[in-house]
Amino acid sequence: MNFFTDIFRLLGTPDLWHASLQYAALLLLPALGGVISERAGVVNIAMEGMMLTGAFFAVAVDLAAHNVWLAVLASMVAGGLMALIHAVVSIRYRADQIVSGVAINIFAAGITVFLVNRLYGLADVGQVAARDSLPNWNIPLLGAIPFLGRVFFQQNIMVYIALLVLLGTQVLLFRTRLGLRLRSVGEHPQAADTAGINVYVLRYGAVVTCGLLSGLAGAFLAIGIANTFVPGMTDGRGYIALAAMIFGKWTPIGAFIATLIFGFGQAVYDANSSIHVSQYLLSMTPYLLTLIVLAAVVRRSSPPAADGIPYIPGAE
Amino acid sequence: MAAAAKSSARQGPPKILRRAGRALAVPLGSVLLAFVVGAILVAVTGGDPFKAYQALICGGFGLFCFGGEPSVLQLSNTLVFLAPLIMAGIAVALPFRAGMFNIGAEGQLIMGAIAAATVGIHLTGWPPWALLPLVLLCGAAGGALWAGIVGVLKATTGAHEVVTTIMLNFVAQWFLRFLIIGGPLQLPGGSSKSSPIASSAQLATLIPHDNRIVFGLPGTVYRAHTGLFIALAAAALFAFLLWRTSLGYEIRAVGQSQRAARYAGISVRRTLIVTMLIAGAFAGLAGAVQIAAVDHNLTDQYFSDTTGFDAIAVALLGLNSAVGIILAAILFGALHAGGSVMQSDAGVSGNLVYVLQALILFSIAANFLRSFKLRLPSPGRVPSTPAADAVAEVVAHEAETELRADDKDTA
Repeated sequence: MNFFTDIFRLLGTPDLWHASLQYAALLLLPALGGVISERAGVVNIAMEGMMLTGAFFAVAVDLAAHNVWLAVLASMVAGGLMALIHAVVSIRYRADQIVSGVAINIFAAGITVFLVNRLYGLADVGQVAARDSLPNWNIPLLGAIPFLGRVFFQQNIMVYIALLVLLGTQVLLFRTRLGLRLRSVGEHPQAADTAGINVYVLRYGAVVTCGLLSGLAGAFLAIGIANTFVPGMTDGRGYIALAAMIFGKWTPIGAFIATLIFGFGQAVYDANSSIHVSQYLLSMTPYLLTLIVLAAVVRRSSPPAADGIPYIPGAE
Repeated sequence: MAAAAKSSARQGPPKILRRAGRALAVPLGSVLLAFVVGAILVAVTGGDPFKAYQALICGGFGLFCFGGEPSVLQLSNTLVFLAPLIMAGIAVALPFRAGMFNIGAEGQLIMGAIAAATVGIHLTGWPPWALLPLVLLCGAAGGALWAGIVGVLKATTGAHEVVTTIMLNFVAQWFLRFLIIGGPLQLPGGSSKSSPIASSAQLATLIPHDNRIVFGLPGTVYRAHTGLFIALAAAALFAFLLWRTSLGYEIRAVGQSQRAARYAGISVRRTLIVTMLIAGAFAGLAGAVQIAAVDHNLTDQYFSDTTGFDAIAVALLGLNSAVGIILAAILFGALHAGGSVMQSDAGVSGNLVYVLQALILFSIAANFLRSFKLRLPSPGRVPSTPAADAVAEVVAHEAETELRADDKDTA
């Protein structure tokens, strides 16, 4: 009984919904990156590693340059470069995209701690505190609305950016010529090539875009939420973003709905001290939900037809 | 005759050597490439790559130890990593042979460890000859069940095994935390670890675990254990299963082409499920051995431990073969054991080892070395789409009816 009264009390606090939206935005950026990459036909399970690299470089550049926006830029570049490795290996060299993704994640986990050790001389478990943090944007008037103001209009600036990216991705994929071409490259690259579309350029672009967005999410995590870099701080969020993408059936809106659910779960987890249920069992829910969706709801989940298949010109 | 002998001598080394060289060129080249890039990385960030690698080799193999590190201890530390890497490597390699990618060795290993520890903690009164095999068996069963979920989902709903294994890894990790942090297996009054397993459930170490001086140090510092023999037996079993049984043939056939396997009368679904069950058993056994021989209780150190992911590198570098997996496990075991020595002796983060591991993976996956005209045996991943599967099913059904009609004709 305690559990339900606790839940209801918690649901009445604006802070819970504020945190839900914040975590949803954090997951939304890499999830949208994943949608773009896989819609173009390149499987990407490396959002975790790209986020982690972005988080590290956000803190490192922030400490060196004392400028959060430079730090954000650096984290995007770092994420983009990691994505470029994935792109070259899996598009140019036609490697197995899962192996490449696994390698990116291992590489990111290793290189960030290696660099922490080189730059700051800390022991492997040490954390690096950031100096500045991304501003909260308290929208005048709207922010003063009771309850809703706290939830929607007193968020970190990165939350608004994530929502803009959501809008942009939706329009790009389904309302522009570029989006149509991108999707055709992911569904039937041979046909797209015949129609004069450059398959390679679009795939490179999509993968690197995924890296930019994942790096951006890393910056949000490191200098927007945690204000520190801790080795392995992404803690599986890149994989949850991957789950959100599948949950949302490879669509931006679907992914957004999924991240809202997962973000809510994270917020409940954070507020857990007041709930009488194991937070560890609670933490399983995003993963279990994804399994159930994969097994039952989506049935034969429908990724883009050419997802994960390297394009070889002239091949059937 | 003499002329023939002369002409074969002129052709250079014997055929078997050339074949071995060809098989080893890509893995060895990839390792070399990774080490060169790693050295550049160390040098660029202001370190001494030679000193770093000297410490790495010292910590891994007990060679070139100039700081007076005891060589036998270094070797012993490498051997500790070896057993789980071999068994988890098999857990990745076997599904590869069937065209599946098992990223879930980590989760299967955790579930195996949980099952093994649960039995080992509660059946304290049992004699070792009964309890130890039971602990190992339960570990294998735990891993098999966890991987079985993946196989069943893949075979019945087509859910991609990469996604389901990733999700199940996290579920296993959180389940472990639930059990040992305030959960039913927590050590009473202890922090985040379980009670220890019964001493009758423990595997012996190679060097007697007491205070007698062995190789200049008390026996208790050597952690290398007899689980190594279990791992080697597992590798032999893997090779036998793959090449000497009809199940192994079916696994390889499904890995080459699901459609062709179906034509040959092999049940693809059954093979996928059985493959995952066996693979999970190997991973679960790895977890059980780790509990029975090294840790003796469950700790949440399993999260930072990356055996299940290292296993992917082991399987790929070992070309999914038993001997290759053992060799690759020796390399990665030595890297991990050497990493800590490198950190303390050369001041270079032990995490360089993960960078090297990732570089090896990139190099093998991308086959950068293909300018040598060498090709890896492909993991045989046949992208399966619902439409293609449906078509294949219809075709197979038609073929069956035709066959039956043929039978009637001949009768």
